[in-house]
Amino acid sequence: MADHKEKHQGTNEEAHEHGPGRYVVIWMALLVFTVTTVVTGHMDLGAANLPLAMAIATIKATLVVLFFMHLWDAEGINRLVFVVALVFVMVLLLGVFGDLLTRMPEALPTGAPAHTLEGGDMPSAHEARPHEPHGE
Amino acid sequence: MSSSDASAHAGGHGSDEHGGNPHLAHHFDSMATQNHASRLGMWLFLGTEVLLFAGLFLGYSVYRHFYHDTFRAASHHLSLTLGTVNTIVLITSSFTVAMALYAVKKGNSKAAAGLLVFTILSAVAFLCIKGVEYHEKFQEGALPGKWFHFHEMQGFPAANMFYTVYFLTTGLHAFHVIVGMAVLIWVLRRTIRGDFDKNYYIPVELGGLYWHLVDLVWIFLFPLLYLI
Repeated sequence: MADHKEKHQGTNEEAHEHGPGRYVVIWMALLVFTVTTVVTGHMDLGAANLPLAMAIATIKATLVVLFFMHLWDAEGINRLVFVVALVFVMVLLLGVFGDLLTRMPEALPTGAPAHTLEGGDMPSAHEARPHEPHGE
Repeated sequence: MSSSDASAHAGGHGSDEHGGNPHLAHHFDSMATQNHASRLGMWLFLGTEVLLFAGLFLGYSVYRHFYHDTFRAASHHLSLTLGTVNTIVLITSSFTVAMALYAVKKGNSKAAAGLLVFTILSAVAFLCIKGVEYHEKFQEGALPGKWFHFHEMQGFPAANMFYTVYFLTTGLHAFHVIVGMAVLIWVLRRTIRGDFDKNYYIPVELGGLYWHLVDLVWIFLFPLLYLI
């Protein structure tokens, strides 16, 4: 009976309690990933640099959220709250970049390189018009 | 079995009944429910924090998209060594605060206090290193907006925007480090006073969650600012 009572009072994270070993492993993994991102950041991987750096940062963040912040064994509603926040971050980024990447060249800010446009092969407004100094 | 269950629940409704946790507010059924509510509230707050920083990350993304070469060149003027050291400091402090919660749950307040002290000292170290970096930027004139007069970046379009984004993101982050430090000092004080044990540790847990968020933001800021 006493056993049952304790089990009932304990919240579910205690049922999944792991020893300090798990924290040490995650900490080591985070340090290894930090070194990895610094080393690969030095290399010239061309277009792969940014996706790689973001992938490593996402893995590190996921480890922190799941194990240091215990979202792995938290109540489901907490997971939902955090994931919804991340979904809205994605909506924000996709909405803004959906706009920026489909703009007419004339809508570029002054001095922005023309290659930043998706339709880079179109005649560039950047070249056509004189450089206006008031941008900065 | 059911009678013991009932008494465990009823314990929450009056402080005079034995077995009731003094930290249980009367409007909650049990400590489990109260912890659940506290945790949910914290995660909601952390969700808004993520969205707050998302706005700055968005600004960063847009300017980096348009002025990629400028951002690349400007990024090389930041100290990668200091940035890397600060990353390691924050990751380690995130680890120690997670261990502090573990120690509190095991009833080892002394170890928890030690780990919290280490975490707070890490926060101080982080701010000192950040201060050295800021000082360097001030000397060079690599400042945001109209105060920008960094000669080495002359000729790059929108060079001041990199430093505007740099100071806004790291500044807001540093502010979070200071707030996190204050929260952890309060948690440390209560830990030393012996307020926490395996039945009551929510302040340690939520203070820790806030500190982990500070770490999370830096995990993304570091490659985006220092490793372009």
